[in-house]
Amino acid sequence: MEGTTGTMAVISPEHVGTDGLVGQGPTRRKVETSVAKWLLMVAALIAGGTIVLMVIFVFLEAIPLIQHSGFSWLWGKEWDVALQDAYSEELWKFGVLPLIVGTMLTTTGAVIMAGVIGMGASVFLAELGPKKIRGPVETMVRLLAGVPSVVFGLIGLTILVPWVQKTFVTDAVLLRYSDIPLDGSGLGVAIAVLTFMILPFFVTVATDSLRAVPQRYRDGGLAIGLSPWRTVTRIVIPAATPGITAGLVLAAARAIGEAIAISMVGGALAFIPRIGDGPIALLEPLRTMAAAIVENGETMNVAPIQSVLFALAALLLLGSLLLSVLARIVFARLQRRMGVVSDREI
Amino acid sequence: MILSVAAIVAVCAGILGVLVWKGIHAINWSFITQDPNPSIAEGGSSGGVRAPIAGTLMLIVFSTLLVLPISLGAAVYLAEYMDEHSAFTKAIRLGIEVLAGVPSVVFGMFGLAIFTAPWLAFMSSKGDGVEIERAFGRSFVVATVVMALHIMPFVIKVMEEAIRSVPSVYRDAAAGLGFTKWRALRTVVLPAARPGLATAIVLGMGLVAGDTAIVWLLLGGTMTMSGSDQWWLPWNWPALLTGTGSTLTTFTYFSSPAGDGNAPEMAYGAALLLILIVLALNAVVVWIGRRSSEARS
Repeated sequence: MEGTTGTMAVISPEHVGTDGLVGQGPTRRKVETSVAKWLLMVAALIAGGTIVLMVIFVFLEAIPLIQHSGFSWLWGKEWDVALQDAYSEELWKFGVLPLIVGTMLTTTGAVIMAGVIGMGASVFLAELGPKKIRGPVETMVRLLAGVPSVVFGLIGLTILVPWVQKTFVTDAVLLRYSDIPLDGSGLGVAIAVLTFMILPFFVTVATDSLRAVPQRYRDGGLAIGLSPWRTVTRIVIPAATPGITAGLVLAAARAIGEAIAISMVGGALAFIPRIGDGPIALLEPLRTMAAAIVENGETMNVAPIQSVLFALAALLLLGSLLLSVLARIVFARLQRRMGVVSDREI
Repeated sequence: MILSVAAIVAVCAGILGVLVWKGIHAINWSFITQDPNPSIAEGGSSGGVRAPIAGTLMLIVFSTLLVLPISLGAAVYLAEYMDEHSAFTKAIRLGIEVLAGVPSVVFGMFGLAIFTAPWLAFMSSKGDGVEIERAFGRSFVVATVVMALHIMPFVIKVMEEAIRSVPSVYRDAAAGLGFTKWRALRTVVLPAARPGLATAIVLGMGLVAGDTAIVWLLLGGTMTMSGSDQWWLPWNWPALLTGTGSTLTTFTYFSSPAGDGNAPEMAYGAALLLILIVLALNAVVVWIGRRSSEARS
């Protein structure tokens, strides 16, 4: 990356185009160069401009909902029944609060879990693990990243859910919480599945951040007599904090948008898990915004449903935009405050 | 530390093990060579996954072909032509970066918002008896376009790194020979970056193969090709491309207990095939990397 700007000045068309040393005429070369530059710029514009189009189109489609019911859908609590009414009678009385809460609960849970497990794995990969097994573990992480979400969902649904049902949903629990359908699917399995879906992504970013910490930091720690473990926990990890934090935020951006797997293991009911129930809340069903979109993609020819699904997509889009920008800001802020020397950027 | 590595290894091995153990029985000759049986919706487990395999391969090939010129152009522009400090550069970079964080389900909705516009009906089909005047907005063409946009930011990022990692000596030497910048790019820089560019494409293919949400929203929930029964005949291809269908991912979703066709053994068969494709693509990436590092040394 360094030095390219210098090179660019040397071989820019103004310098090369007029000397006439090569067999092509200078005019043709100039035309060729400028046409090429324009074509490349168009490609860059498409790449950078898509997000603008996306925001415009998705938000436009959500407008009918706002015309019909203002913003009351944001805090309404009824989703499943409202969807039925919308389908049969074209009513516009949606409540997406359960979906928002469901998304936040699964995302928070998965980010915390992935953070804890991921830090351990990253320290292993970047610092303390025996060099011989780092390679295979890294391959495993890459493999995990390649597993399609529907496969996570399938295994969660056919292996994890029955196991949770058999182990934790006892008759006593069923009796006490008879008002909620408990069948093993729900918050707990959703978090577990989501954790391993975002984990490889976080591990990659965190490992890179640790590796970007200059070697002299480690040498310094060891030189003043710290053990390798303490060198890592007291010096290397703090120095890598900007990248690690940004990685967590980006992992959260992935988690809020996961649709298929959560729709398979979430329990298919827009219920708000009651945190007050303690661990039982982990067994309670939920539905996320992204899951609600894929589940109802087929009934989009009904105007109210179409508009509310676009409203959900708009919320997701907004959330992912905010998280992406937040990751940038967090990274820049922390790095400036800590004065860490690193040539890495996100 | 050891625990978290153990968790990763266990989950990874567990996923592969379960897929092989449960999926291997489903896979046989007729599973691969027959189309899904329409009766799958009633729990019938006959028929196979020929159409979904074709769907996955079609999406991979077409969206790669579509994303290649745009990504390459954008990556070259970002790596070679941009003034790093201009506002334009920063805006483009921010746009690409933010796009990479957008969930695929939102891409799917974006596709529906655009391609249900009536004048774009030629890319899918007219809505069937809907009260809203819109195109159906779901077809292979539509799914291809949106899938290409979805993988674009990732492909650009890897391509840009590949181009940037070409030593600047190459560019200087070309300039010294009197090459224009464009000619140097074409004949020196891009050929030198070829392994990295190929890696970018293969990584993009893996993303296409694994995505479910875009396909589910934009290819419709039909398991067989809706364009025509004999979809493999060339004169039926226009109908095939503007019709709906399925891929291995949506087939897995559909035939899992969560979908309409409750046939877990078929779902596992399709999932195993899917993971084999993903593994093969991964192997190609490793192979490209190894070959290029051998060539360099």
